[in-house]
Amino acid sequence: MSQLKEIAAEESKLDMTPMIDVTFLLLIFFMCTLKFKTLEGKLAAYLPKDVGVNQSEAEPIEKVEILVQVIEEGTRYMPLKADLVPWDGESKRWVYGSDRRIRYTVGPMRTFDLGELKTRIADMRIVGGESRPATIDPRKGITYSDVAKVLDVALSAEYREITFVGSDEKQ
Amino acid sequence: MNLTKHDPETEMEMDMTPMIDVVFLLIIFFMVITDMSQQDLEDLTLPMAIHATKDTPDPKKFRPVVNIDINGLIKIKRQEYFDPDEPDDYKKLREHLSDVARQMEPDEDDPTLPGDALLIRCDETTPFKHVQKVMEQCGYKGVQIWKLELAVSVPEKPKDQE
Repeated sequence: MSQLKEIAAEESKLDMTPMIDVTFLLLIFFMCTLKFKTLEGKLAAYLPKDVGVNQSEAEPIEKVEILVQVIEEGTRYMPLKADLVPWDGESKRWVYGSDRRIRYTVGPMRTFDLGELKTRIADMRIVGGESRPATIDPRKGITYSDVAKVLDVALSAEYREITFVGSDEKQ
Repeated sequence: MNLTKHDPETEMEMDMTPMIDVVFLLIIFFMVITDMSQQDLEDLTLPMAIHATKDTPDPKKFRPVVNIDINGLIKIKRQEYFDPDEPDDYKKLREHLSDVARQMEPDEDDPTLPGDALLIRCDETTPFKHVQKVMEQCGYKGVQIWKLELAVSVPEKPKDQE
């Protein structure tokens, strides 16, 4: 009997070291791969549906066309810095300073101000009791954030159907 | 000076159980928090928009994402699909998009067109011409994706839709 007890005692002394090693490795892996979930938003937009399909169909309602042009590119700065440090020309990313000027043209109206653009397109939205679609025509040098701002303004002016036009690099 | 009598063997018999418990709890915590469905979202600085709808994808549903970095490098599921150093080589992207279009649910109004949206994520200073190139690929025969979503970041306190 005493022999049996000895064997049992020996078996309980299982070597934990490899398990702890593996566990720690797993822990480090999960800690490293952890990227805190950031809440993202999205802006809905459309592409012209009828490209190359049927050109015969006439446009029922005239669209509100928003032309977006770069007038002044603006100074490039280093991102993620508290004070403005000019871009060194090598760093992977940059941001534009407040001297960047974007001109928005809707029909005869030209503005540099997004608020003004909003009032203007909000006035133009309803024609004959029907909501008009809008198109955004971004020109050369326009960045993604410029477009996102216009799209945001158009959505706030309650436009529901916004399409993108122009794929060539026009000035 | 009792040091000589100190037996190193006894110190080795430290009780490991609470430590292992804690480590396992930590592992479970990190496993739960790591959301694998977010893996196809590249690390980009998105522009801010107030009127964006919150992006809450259904993890079970197929959702195509195209990431474009500041130089125009297109990445989908951590794989490069377009290198700006090789201009106009959009074949790989177009093939991928036509695969994507086939997997999409058909549109309610026109069943010949795909009805799901393609999420485009870019850095805030990505030139829009790169996005336009992707849009151009979307218009090709056999792709014809016409619904888009542009990813943006939302302010801390999102303004309610007016």
